[in-house]
Amino acid sequence: MINNQKKNNRILLVDNEIDISSAFKIGLEDNGFEVDAFDKPDAALSYFNQGMYDLLLLDIKMPKMNGIEFYKRMKEIDEKVKVCFITASEIHYFEEIAKEIFPILGVRRLIRKPIKIQDLVKTVKAELLD
Amino acid sequence: MLLYLIIQYQLLIHTLTFSYDKTSAGTTMVLHGSENVMNTIIQFLSKSNMIDSCGDNKAPKLVIEIEDFRKLLFDLKKSHRKVRYITDITKDNVKYCKQLMNYFDEIRHIDGLRANFSISEKEYLASGSLLQEEVQRQQFRGLVQQIIYSNVKDIVEQQKYIFESFWNKAIPAEQRIKDLEQGIVPGSTAVIQIPSKIQELFIDLVKSAKVEVLLILPTINAFLREERLGVMQSLKELAEAMNVKVRILTPINDIIEEKIHNIYAVNQENMASFSIQPIEITSKEIRVSTVTILVVDREKSLAIEKTDDSKQDFIDAIGLATYSTSTPTVLSYVSIFESLSNQIKLYEQLKIHDKMQVEFINIASHELRTPTQAVLAYSELLQKHPEKREEMIKAIHRNAERLQRLTNDILDVTKIESKTLNLQKEEFNLNDLLSNILEDYKNEIEKNKSNVRLFLKDFINIKRSFLVKADRRRITQLISNLLNNAIKFTEGKGGDVYVTVEGKREADGDSDNDKEVVVSIKDTGTGIDPEIYPRLFTKFATKSETGTGLGLFICKSIIEAHGGKIWAQNNKDDKGATFAFSLPLSSNKEQRFQIRRLAP
Repeated sequence: MINNQKKNNRILLVDNEIDISSAFKIGLEDNGFEVDAFDKPDAALSYFNQGMYDLLLLDIKMPKMNGIEFYKRMKEIDEKVKVCFITASEIHYFEEIAKEIFPILGVRRLIRKPIKIQDLVKTVKAELLD
Repeated sequence: MLLYLIIQYQLLIHTLTFSYDKTSAGTTMVLHGSENVMNTIIQFLSKSNMIDSCGDNKAPKLVIEIEDFRKLLFDLKKSHRKVRYITDITKDNVKYCKQLMNYFDEIRHIDGLRANFSISEKEYLASGSLLQEEVQRQQFRGLVQQIIYSNVKDIVEQQKYIFESFWNKAIPAEQRIKDLEQGIVPGSTAVIQIPSKIQELFIDLVKSAKVEVLLILPTINAFLREERLGVMQSLKELAEAMNVKVRILTPINDIIEEKIHNIYAVNQENMASFSIQPIEITSKEIRVSTVTILVVDREKSLAIEKTDDSKQDFIDAIGLATYSTSTPTVLSYVSIFESLSNQIKLYEQLKIHDKMQVEFINIASHELRTPTQAVLAYSELLQKHPEKREEMIKAIHRNAERLQRLTNDILDVTKIESKTLNLQKEEFNLNDLLSNILEDYKNEIEKNKSNVRLFLKDFINIKRSFLVKADRRRITQLISNLLNNAIKFTEGKGGDVYVTVEGKREADGDSDNDKEVVVSIKDTGTGIDPEIYPRLFTKFATKSETGTGLGLFICKSIIEAHGGKIWAQNNKDDKGATFAFSLPLSSNKEQRFQIRRLAP
């Protein structure tokens, strides 16, 4: 986990695949974001506090606690925090989630892996600007 | 019953008291008295060339055992009269019926026949009931108290018509006797059109069950109606108290599901013989008719047709019913039940299979995209971060290997399923291979600073030679897969992995030599998830967030292709699991040679 205290386009990234969370962290930091990356949702959850981040970038399929559940818990702490989900799974696997749960949660962006770093940056920026 | 009717006639004449109705067309009389009855019968027989006769199930015994009847039988046979006879052949009178077949041209059977009459070309005779005391004494005199005689053409014609109706409905005595001797008792089939009678019979049939009840309910409403009728309660009691096997096929919805849940919930341990198979209402593959089918003890069936399924009351909802004790009919309903039951099971399996396929696509896509993402991202970042070059190349390599493993697994499964998994067999010492693999793993564990310790148990066996003829690459793949799993599920909290190898003789113990080698890999990890256990070696069985669920399926296919077996169980101390496989050993001669050579 790499800690950032400055409050400027700060991103909390949670992905149980360490290689991916590390790569995304480097790529996003290259583009001016401040990123805290975790590979264990429970560790991220215990670290999280209201107003710490502008955006959550969450993997969906993770052991013990999936990204959706994680986000619900996060929202209880910080209602305004924005989110982008990111998944390597087939899209229809999450069709119901996307249709039913995403609107309730106010989720607008689902990023599919694999994605180029520059495209990831574009999506993240768009979400933060909205 | 021809003969005792004839005797009745003789009795009638003897008594002198009779009713008399003479018309220009003929005479109809009710006569009493045994002597005259006999004379009349003799006259009846003497004037007749063709005689058709019916008798109840007591008649054959009397005809054979009472002397006066026997005499008449001989006379009939001698005079070559053509006699057709119908009776109710039962297991009690079958031996007499067989004897009667020697005297009559043809005998047929009707279940429960109660008619006693005879017709010749121009005359008709009908007896009343027999006096039981005379029947027991096997005496003819006094046996029949009265008889009806007629030679009125219309009456004779009517009776001929009745006889022909019986005759056409009857089955040959030979067939009936064969069925009885083989224990086959074809029952009867009846159509019941009175709903209240159907309801009564339905309840009585359910309550009469001794061994098994099969019930097909075609609609949700049928379930609800039958429940209101108390049928479900009766079935439950039968299963609980008398261990009657109750099997029900029914469509379900939330209401029915809750009711089923309540049936099971009360006394679950005593409900082992009670099963309800749900039919999915939305399923296009499974169609049930609108007929409720009940089969009791595979001896009786009741098929109830509905006229209005919307009605709440059983009587209002049903039309007619077919009740049968006929073995072929009842077994047809059993067959319908079993076919539907199997169809439901197959449909369920198909659904599971489809679900597994979808699940596999999800898993495979996740497993393909994840390392691809890592390769793509690090390749992109590599140029910007030359200082992290080595670290990033390692990550790319690691993920490329992961992709390679997945590709190989998918290709292996394709080969297994298309039966093109070819083995390159060679002879080698399994212990040598095992030692090399374990050495590599130990190095890897040390390098990764893993909290798992790997042990070789039973050093003597490790020193032995276990020659196998096998595909070295595939056996390496198998052992590596099992070791990877053991380490993966032990790594979290840390623990030990033990590998043992031992020779096994044949179960009958007729040989001093080992026939196979068994390798066991025991870990102290998380153990096998109970949900996965029943399908552990099938495709796509995984609870892991990383893994395709193909590894153990491939392992099983590899080992079985070598004539070996693979199995797994959770350890008795609740810590971890043990996976083991067996492989047939090469010829024992060589084993012995190897053992001597290697022994210190």
